[in-house]
Amino acid sequence: MTDLLRVHNVSKRFERLQAVDNVSLIVPAGQIVGLIGPNGSGKSTLFALLSGSQRAESGRIEFDGHDITHRSPDQIFQLGLVRSYQDPALFTRMTVLDNVLLPVKDQLGENPGLAPLHRIWRKQERDIASAAGALLDRVMLRRHYKTLASDLSGGQMKLLQLGRSLNGSARMLLLDEPTAGVAPKLARDIFHLVEALRREQGLTFLIIEHRLDVLFDFVDDVYVMHAGRVVAQGTAADIAANAQVREIYFGD
Amino acid sequence: MPTSLILDSLVRSLQAGSLYALMALGLTLTMAVVRLPNFAHAELITVGGYVALIVSMGVSTSVPVILCLAFIGAGLVALITHRAVYRPLARLNLSTYAMILASFAVGLILRYLIFLLVDRFDFFDKPVKVPQQVLIRTPDLILTSVFAWGVPTALLLMLALSVVLNRTDLGRQMRALANNPTLAKVIGIPVDRVHDLTWLLVGGLAGVGGALWGIYTTVNPLMGWLTLLSVFAATILGGMTSFAGTILGAYVVSFSENLLMQWLNFQFRVDFSFKPAVPFVIIIVVLLARPQGLTGLADSLNGLRRWRGPTG
Amino acid sequence: MNIDLLATAIALLTFFGISAIMALSLNLEYGLAGIPNFGKALFVSIGAYTAGITYTRLLPLLVGKAYLDPCGETLAQALDLRVRAIHDQPGIAFLNLGLTLLIAAIVGGLVGSLVSYTALRVKEEWYLGLVLLVGSEVIRTLVRGYTPLICGINGLSGVTQPFSALDNPTLSAACFMALVLAIAVLAYVYCERLVRSPFGRLLKAMRENEPVTLALGKHVPRLRAQVMLIGSALAAIGGVLFAVNLGFVSTNDYAVGFTLDIWVMVVLGGVGNHRGALLGALIVTVLNRATAILSIWANAQGSQFEFNYVRYILFALILLWVLRFRRQGLLPEHAETTVAHDELSVQP
Repeated sequence: MTDLLRVHNVSKRFERLQAVDNVSLIVPAGQIVGLIGPNGSGKSTLFALLSGSQRAESGRIEFDGHDITHRSPDQIFQLGLVRSYQDPALFTRMTVLDNVLLPVKDQLGENPGLAPLHRIWRKQERDIASAAGALLDRVMLRRHYKTLASDLSGGQMKLLQLGRSLNGSARMLLLDEPTAGVAPKLARDIFHLVEALRREQGLTFLIIEHRLDVLFDFVDDVYVMHAGRVVAQGTAADIAANAQVREIYFGD
Repeated sequence: MPTSLILDSLVRSLQAGSLYALMALGLTLTMAVVRLPNFAHAELITVGGYVALIVSMGVSTSVPVILCLAFIGAGLVALITHRAVYRPLARLNLSTYAMILASFAVGLILRYLIFLLVDRFDFFDKPVKVPQQVLIRTPDLILTSVFAWGVPTALLLMLALSVVLNRTDLGRQMRALANNPTLAKVIGIPVDRVHDLTWLLVGGLAGVGGALWGIYTTVNPLMGWLTLLSVFAATILGGMTSFAGTILGAYVVSFSENLLMQWLNFQFRVDFSFKPAVPFVIIIVVLLARPQGLTGLADSLNGLRRWRGPTG
Repeated sequence: MNIDLLATAIALLTFFGISAIMALSLNLEYGLAGIPNFGKALFVSIGAYTAGITYTRLLPLLVGKAYLDPCGETLAQALDLRVRAIHDQPGIAFLNLGLTLLIAAIVGGLVGSLVSYTALRVKEEWYLGLVLLVGSEVIRTLVRGYTPLICGINGLSGVTQPFSALDNPTLSAACFMALVLAIAVLAYVYCERLVRSPFGRLLKAMRENEPVTLALGKHVPRLRAQVMLIGSALAAIGGVLFAVNLGFVSTNDYAVGFTLDIWVMVVLGGVGNHRGALLGALIVTVLNRATAILSIWANAQGSQFEFNYVRYILFALILLWVLRFRRQGLLPEHAETTVAHDELSVQP
């Protein structure tokens, strides 16, 4: 099994705060890996470094054999690494369908020279719309395809974001708290979907989560972060039993 | 370059710079505390100029009186625009662009109201007449009391502002709002009151700047708009929120417009009609090469505590 | 007072057509892509100055006459040359206009896309707006100071529309109006089709959240440059028509007030809606004409009241009203971008 994502000793400092401190981790292809830790431990910052919206000051990040340490976010997306956000970061003034269609690659109609000539890209648009319909079905939003993203409920927004992230030919997804603020049943449904996608399409996942009860049922491996560092790594069972981790989380 | 030209442009640089600083500080204050790039700031300057003119024509030609009334007049106008327009719009959570448009609109209303009044009474291009004395007369240089009023008053006001910001409760509250507005509300700072007082202060500073400018040159309805470019350049040089940086920036702008321009004209025959390009070039260079302006370089200014805004 | 209704209507519709083109361009840039172009007047003026240059340098060339300095001593002869060329050889006059529109679009577009790259370096979003505003004013000052371009403060006359070859002024004006409206309709259709597409979807996304759009694989800087290119080219075309309609090129016409007029059109009509831009252009044009007529009438009655000042105050108040009570403008934006939505409605 090859390693899809390799992070070597990356660090990032913000003024006086060492947000990410010499972090290394590996995600093999086809695995679901969890990233946990208290608030402020640097997990989201690490995601920002991986997706390219922040620059690592030191270290190296490799994805699918490419060095992506200093690449721009759009380049990283094109390579197949896609990130979702804690707050859904949806396009609120666009419909659900438009949100989902945005990331699709190689759209003829995105070229301003071709855009006014509808006949050229109409067929392609209809095709990707069909495909998006099926995807929306899986995230239970098919009926709401015309709804404005701002009119969705919190849980629906999370699902839309997931759907949007999935529609860009991703090979690996970085999910940032995909179940935050979502009802328990829906939370499990989301993880079932993640597992199904791994099974059907061989997708790889690195997931930041606070809902450890749900997370631990689905992950192959877990990394624990605290104060910018990786302090533990292991299977869900190992981590659950780890005294140091319990102290970090519950102050035992 | 002959000494007389050097001295003359030096004096003008100091004069203009001090006044720019006064006007720019108001803008910096608005940016930091209220977070609004206020395009109507120019009109506050004009208001100050016209208050000065009217006072000098009807009430008194004593400079302190004129300046006080200009401060109050422009301050009140600023407060009214805040209460009538900016505060209600801010409550609607409009985008920055919408607020900028609103400030444009306010500026237009003020400017053309002034135009209407000025038209009625024929007050175009009038200087504010105050008793003038010649202080220094040498073959190379003539210095009048206008200079003596302009520069020291500006410096005094800047000092006073520094004191207010660093040593009073109000100042502390203003700085808190500038650094972290959400936190400030949470810890109980009377946001509305601080905003009101900030606008009064901003208007007052601009008004005094306008009044002094009217004494230095003339008063016309476009005077604020015409100096706005240089004032913005000064504020941008100050990184938008650095107090000391803005003051330094104001002198950089005025020296470039006067001394540098004079030199370019003398050495290379560059026509003075290119003078408006100077602040623009400064703005472009700063925004592209060093967006934070002069912040960080202003540590060495004596006597003025550096105050860093949220983006400084 | 004697108002020639037909002439007024023709003039009004001509101004409307020209304003519509400019409003469409700003709606594209700000309404759809979120770029605050506070320097619209600059790009319009590029069109006007191009017309000034082609009418004085290119037109003589096309009619086979020697170039005469349009300013200075040969001013009268150069003017005479232009006027007669347009009158005697309308075919050449049309060719000249066509070339002018093309050149202006290219130059305007290039400047626009170049300017968009300055947005990359600025610290705050709205700095770009400030740079554009300031830049617009200063270019204006520079052109006014640099005499050889369009004779500095004096401006350039004899830059008339090709139909002036017709001896009937009403017919001439009507024909030009038809031309302007045709171009405006083309511009509208083009803009509509442009944004009812995946490209339009990209713009809306960029408008709302640039970093996320970037993270979804779209090259935002290039996108912004493309929008500015199209918008500026349109504005320049509007500028050519504006100058040629006046018959006169002067820096005075392209001050900040011009930019503000166009912003009022877009904000009033409806941000993000092209039909809204047209509606806004119509309302503003009508208000402008109405105040101008009112002003002339009042002056004829002996009143000293300057209605122009009132016009600015009125526009400012309208702008504030819209911002306060109807932020989306008169015609709201259409949410569904492409035919994709129709596709899904067909399926179960």
